[in-house]
Amino acid sequence: MALLSVQDLTMRFGDKLIQEDVSFEVEPGTIFAIMGGSGCGKSTLLKHLIGLLEPAHGQVLYDGKDYWQSKDEERTKLRSGFGVLFQSAALWSSMTVLENVLMPLEQHTDLSEDERIERAREALSWVEMADFADYSPADLSGGMKKRAGLARAIAAQPRLLFLDEPSAGLDPISSKRLDDLILEIRDRTGAAVLVVSHELPSLFAIADDSIFLDADSKKPIAHGKPSELLDTATHPTVHAFLHREKL
Amino acid sequence: MTIRWPRTAPLQGTFRGITFLGSVILAIAHGMPNHWRFRSQDMARVLADCSARALLIVLVVNVLVGAILAFVGAVQLVKFGAGIFVADLVAIAVSREMAAVITAVVMAGRTGAAFAAELATMQANEEVDALEVLGLNAMDHLVVPRVLALLLVMPLLYVFGCLAGLVGGFTVGASMLSLAPAAYFDRSLDALSFQHLGLGFSKAIAFGILVAIAGCYHGLHAERNAAGVGQATTRAVVAGIVGVIALDAVFSVCANALGI
Repeated sequence: MALLSVQDLTMRFGDKLIQEDVSFEVEPGTIFAIMGGSGCGKSTLLKHLIGLLEPAHGQVLYDGKDYWQSKDEERTKLRSGFGVLFQSAALWSSMTVLENVLMPLEQHTDLSEDERIERAREALSWVEMADFADYSPADLSGGMKKRAGLARAIAAQPRLLFLDEPSAGLDPISSKRLDDLILEIRDRTGAAVLVVSHELPSLFAIADDSIFLDADSKKPIAHGKPSELLDTATHPTVHAFLHREKL
Repeated sequence: MTIRWPRTAPLQGTFRGITFLGSVILAIAHGMPNHWRFRSQDMARVLADCSARALLIVLVVNVLVGAILAFVGAVQLVKFGAGIFVADLVAIAVSREMAAVITAVVMAGRTGAAFAAELATMQANEEVDALEVLGLNAMDHLVVPRVLALLLVMPLLYVFGCLAGLVGGFTVGASMLSLAPAAYFDRSLDALSFQHLGLGFSKAIAFGILVAIAGCYHGLHAERNAAGVGQATTRAVVAGIVGVIALDAVFSVCANALGI
């Protein structure tokens, strides 16, 4: 059974249609990418998957359980199985980096305080942020914030990791470092990773499967491994996107 | 149950504000028998910011208001040879109205604006989303500590504001009107009553809740961009000040009806 299954999802803001007929599955231990041009609804789709926005139609199933049909307690239990790295990292500014990483552990685990601190420091070491545990988020660079956000997302050892534009705004070296880290996390924990991105080098390097959202037709127009779509995509928008060409 | 909002924008805002107030009351009531869900460090930070750091400006403004009241009263009362009653005027006006209203206006401009700006920035930076994804409620973790902080601090600031206003009036009375300090002091004590002080104290509590809720409501409902932060701050200050004055009018009518 797929870890995450999205079936016939329709997203709307009031009367405005964002996307419809969105269906895909994410298997354990795989990296799935949501691709598309700016403003096509990639981040909005992610917000529907993590419980921040309710779909107008369709289902979001975790291990076969419909998230939006579940009761509050069940939703909390389902949410404890996933970690999220937001586009802006979204570190809580009133806390230190270590306190940020401790929050999911306090919320979703029964570990003792010492164990939680040990686990949080381990997560920070993994993303090479151990020396910045006592820093305020305001004192970190963009790349460091992303890595600290990733440490917070993986601290409670989620089964499914959601990453919203992880390498956006990073220089090529930091971006490559983050890609390697995502692959390492997938290999070491066996977690499934869902990445929202339009950074082609990252997508070709890490994604096992993907879906392409089209802003004009408001529907997905391609499905497959990004590196394979490069040769096989027939839709002009997908072809132009992957080959960085004018339409 | 789905609530049908009125179509007029100001009415919609008022109804949403009332719903927000209800949610805050429920969150506070729900946390009371068990334990508050917010972090104690966050509460301490908010408390420090709206108490000790706000005290100086509250004192300065209230001293000046007390002095202005004494000046304005003296101009009229001296004409009738009743200059000594400036003490009564200042004591009653400050304890019953001005200390609570002026302190609330200062806090709306200072702390209400800070609440709105901080929460709007958190909204823009997806920090509120990050809380929700963890299963943590923004109401419990962000709004309740701020409302409780102002609920605790406003009555204390009212007491300090009251003292400062009396000092301002006394300074003008004793220095400019050449009133005997002992006589001024006696008249002030005679004029002050528990009814006046109790009314001012009650207003301070209500105004504190109103200012905190205006700041938090507009912060959490801000648009997710830099302009949204500015708009939320402006709206919080305007709603706070207008709300304080409107609520003061309601208090005045009620106090009059009750013969206080």
